[in-house]
Amino acid sequence: MTDKEVYYVVLFNSVHHALRSEKILKEMGISHKLIPVPRHISSDCGVCLRFTADLRSPIEEALTGKVEIREICPL
Amino acid sequence: MKKIIDAKGLACPQPVILTKKALEQEDEITVIVDNDTAAENVRRMGTKSGCTVDTEKKEDGTFHIHLSKKQGGTAPAETEQSPSGTFNDSCASDGPLVVVISSDRMGRGNDELGHVLMRSFIHTLLTLEPLPETLIFYNSGVKLTVKDSEVLDDLKKIEEAGVSILACGTCLNYFGISSDLACGIVSNMYDITSTMAAAGRQVIP
Repeated sequence: MTDKEVYYVVLFNSVHHALRSEKILKEMGISHKLIPVPRHISSDCGVCLRFTADLRSPIEEALTGKVEIREICPL
Repeated sequence: MKKIIDAKGLACPQPVILTKKALEQEDEITVIVDNDTAAENVRRMGTKSGCTVDTEKKEDGTFHIHLSKKQGGTAPAETEQSPSGTFNDSCASDGPLVVVISSDRMGRGNDELGHVLMRSFIHTLLTLEPLPETLIFYNSGVKLTVKDSEVLDDLKKIEEAGVSILACGTCLNYFGISSDLACGIVSNMYDITSTMAAAGRQVIP
């Protein structure tokens, strides 16, 4: 990967939680991207939300209490 | 004497077919078309057939595309495959990898899930080594190639990496999103069929 940007991902226990989070972030206009969970993080066939480091706190704030999050970790 | 093909006012894929036929006879031709898509398709056909391609845009809105065959060989697409002893099917597996996206969903069952899977699939294409030669989008697959598509960033990256992206013009038109195309090029059944037929392998998620 040639991206210089620093990314984090939000991991979920359920695809439904990922989709709900995506909906919330879309409505709030916070940029993010739904991607398959990278192999080095988990071998599950799951999806997660990727975002740039600067958006970490707005995203945490937006999702806390609304969606169940498993973990936020650097990509 | 250079042959001139007047393909003004003709619907796709006629200009491309005329060009292809003319190139079978001539080494140097000029094709006149009256719209961007036709010009682009003729140019691509020329490049694929191993021609040098040179376009002049005229003030009356027409494009004069000069095609001349390069010395020392025809295009890969035109070359006869191969020496004796090889079977057709083994030749075929030498062709390029083509990914065919025929829907904006991956698999059947649940549409919401299918859309998530397709987005993941397209994102993951970027990690393939080597990358496919061409991505073809048709039917509701074309919805992925227009502005506001969630996979647009990925498709642009794939395109920058040198993969050609063909979006079915009929399909864009059907969904009323022709003017929203944001990556790749508008293509026609002629190109789509020949690209699929020339593929060594096709991946159809």
